[in-house]
Amino acid sequence: MKLRYVVMTLIVSSVLSTANVVEITDGMPYVKVEANGNKYKIERTQDKDAYLTNTFALTSRPSPPFFIEPFLVTSGVETYGELELLDFVSEKKGLLIDARLENWYTKSAIPTAVNMPFKLFLTKTSVREKVLQDLGGKQDSSGKWDFSTAKTILLYCNGAWCGQSPTAINALIDLGYPKEKMKYYRGGMQTWQLVGLTTIVPKESK
Amino acid sequence: MKILMILCFALTGVFAGQFDKVKITPDISYLYVYHKGKAVKVHRIQDTKNKLTGEYAKQYRPGQYIQPIKMHDDIQTIGEVELLHFMKEKGNYKKGILVDLRPKRVYKRESIPSAVNIPAKTKDNKVKLEKILKILGADRKADGTLDTKKAMDVAFYCNGLWCEQSSEFIKEFLKLGYPAEKMLYYRGGFQMWKILGFTTVVNK
Repeated sequence: MKLRYVVMTLIVSSVLSTANVVEITDGMPYVKVEANGNKYKIERTQDKDAYLTNTFALTSRPSPPFFIEPFLVTSGVETYGELELLDFVSEKKGLLIDARLENWYTKSAIPTAVNMPFKLFLTKTSVREKVLQDLGGKQDSSGKWDFSTAKTILLYCNGAWCGQSPTAINALIDLGYPKEKMKYYRGGMQTWQLVGLTTIVPKESK
Repeated sequence: MKILMILCFALTGVFAGQFDKVKITPDISYLYVYHKGKAVKVHRIQDTKNKLTGEYAKQYRPGQYIQPIKMHDDIQTIGEVELLHFMKEKGNYKKGILVDLRPKRVYKRESIPSAVNIPAKTKDNKVKLEKILKILGADRKADGTLDTKKAMDVAFYCNGLWCEQSSEFIKEFLKLGYPAEKMLYYRGGFQMWKILGFTTVVNK
């Protein structure tokens, strides 16, 4: 009797373990994405005892530099949530950019994101030229950039109190990047983890 | 001595916020709002080591689906900065009201200052809904149409970005004829308010 009970429990639990109890949203248990030659499965934590306890559980950061960012960086640049980000990466609508400094990115990031630290966009350097070209920008002989065929990019940083991705977006606007080709995931790493979504430790940073 | 102490208190009052370590925006450290007739200072926890714990730090949320960034094409989604602006410009002048859609017992435990409680399940009670519309300044005319010229602006929130109650209730309000431009959706909800260390009130 006891053995039968154990066997039954084992069967039930093995069936359950293949299905996600916590779905991302109704009817979406997980999202599978391929990017940069890697395969990722993005889902929400299935661990009953999962609480946010790392540095992202901190409520209060000194200001300056940390202030709560407005919902919009500027009108014309759409703000995204988690579902819009997932649709963006799974439907390959563009490039997900982690705009944080490299030491943050290498610790933990959103799957498929490439690291382009915001500082990179602020000053005219050969590295910036290279990055802007990679994004699809074309420079004419006078040095003016044309981004009309550039990639659509989605930027994020540490959270609603992080100015790094808004700073990068504003710098790109100044360079002539079209607003409609830029999206902003304001929730950032903090909100992503707060709702238990998958993070990765990037193997190597760009 | 007593006078000196009072003076000290008054001075700390005057300068409170100016020297806040944790501000809201570069221009705003705090804001006073009215909650059940009393002035409440809304600011952020100043202890930079403070971590969110308990129910709102919980990541495991079965059945609580992540909501889209926009719940409806015509309804504006707002964050904390816009919500505070709403409290200051609308709420404090009775031109707008912040509505907490969570169940009464949850609201009683803790809420955003200045919020009134209309549990989301009220949407199934036509009689109550009509009463609420009237309180908000929307008049049901004899021909059945809703006159919303003088109706208040309303900002809605529930428990978090995985909470469906706001979008369900706002949709019901749209059906009843409440204008989309008079409604705002604070998607982050109580969880985001908490994780940013904002002031909360207990409603016993």
